Amino acid sequence: MNRTREQSIQWWLGILDVSATGVAEGALRLERVHHAIADESFNILARIPVTRPVSEPVRVAHHGISSLSYRTVAYIATSVQKLSGLQGKPLMRISAESPAA
Amino acid sequence: MTQPTRSAHWQDHASAILSGFLGDWLEHRANPLAVGLQFFHQGVPLCLEQPEADPPRRTLVVMVHGLTELESIWDYPGQPGINYGTQLAELLGATPLCLRYNSGRAIYRNGEALSEALNTLTSHWPVPVENLILVGHSMGGLLIRSACHAGIHAEHGWPSLVDSCVYVGSPHEGSWLAKAAHSAAGLMNRQSRDYLKVVGDVLDLRSEGIRNLSRGELLADQQGMPPLLPGARHFAISGLLANNPDHPLNTLFGDALVLDSSARGAHQPGWQLTATACFPGIDHIRLTHHDKVYQQLKEWLA
Repeated sequence: MNRTREQSIQWWLGILDVSATGVAEGALRLERVHHAIADESFNILARIPVTRPVSEPVRVAHHGISSLSYRTVAYIATSVQKLSGLQGKPLMRISAESPAA
Repeated sequence: MTQPTRSAHWQDHASAILSGFLGDWLEHRANPLAVGLQFFHQGVPLCLEQPEADPPRRTLVVMVHGLTELESIWDYPGQPGINYGTQLAELLGATPLCLRYNSGRAIYRNGEALSEALNTLTSHWPVPVENLILVGHSMGGLLIRSACHAGIHAEHGWPSLVDSCVYVGSPHEGSWLAKAAHSAAGLMNRQSRDYLKVVGDVLDLRSEGIRNLSRGELLADQQGMPPLLPGARHFAISGLLANNPDHPLNTLFGDALVLDSSARGAHQPGWQLTATACFPGIDHIRLTHHDKVYQQLKEWLA
């Protein structure tokens, strides 16, 4: 079906919104996965006497640097999302009973 | 002679797929990708208050697609605009209509919207509507049942016009895949490891429409299952992956998404279907455009 230019622009803005939300939310979830997996290793290192003294500082540095990276990506994506002109609402389950739904 | 329609744009297909998975969220944030409920005649959207058809008939055949689909799912491969609806309409002297809707919304909400739309459409149809034939694929069949329930509840006039409802591969008792997603999300969310919980989180993003498919829910707040629309004929069609009905693939996966027993509503109390048909070797999607299925529809409806 033929689409008007306005419909097409709106469609691409919708894609921008979904993509940016996906990147922002994806980055934050990836951060959780990354930290949770890294913690498995750091927990082992914390039990070994030789590595115990350094494991915690390294864990803090690792988590700090990775959080900074992931949240920078999420922030940039959220900023791009604002270009779509749509309201910034988090990607979450929308209950059918929600008054706003 | 059946007239070919204009085919859906690729962007409409993308919107339909996204709406299926995230439709309630898209609607919640007024994202333009959220598909709106619309009737189409020969590929052209109908204005409900001033519907135009050339010529308008007293019988309407309404085709209702399923999750993530568009009305074009009904078209025979390589024959855009030719589908069960147009063929039946030609045979019955009816007007074929196709519905498009946001399949990610809760089924009961789409049911209410469809009931309202049918009420407006039949009130403004250029000639008095005498018969309605509703054909739904997969979720579309559940939507038809939900709309009938909503129509009776709202005391709309159109349910009394319904002659036949045909449920093509509709998961009246849920789809095994939706159930698996529901179970997997629950399992992952119960894990103590955060990286497993994230998997559960992602699965939980699935739309309300998909959630409804795990148990074939038609009503708000699990109010039980409404009876079939009284006074109308009800037909169920199921498919099976393998040609041999006893093949283990069929037992496990049915038509790929819906088991035969679910498509027939085998465990629905008080159900009296007019007829059922099972097509071994025809999968869930091909049920929407297969000559054998059309022959069966013709036998039942003509």
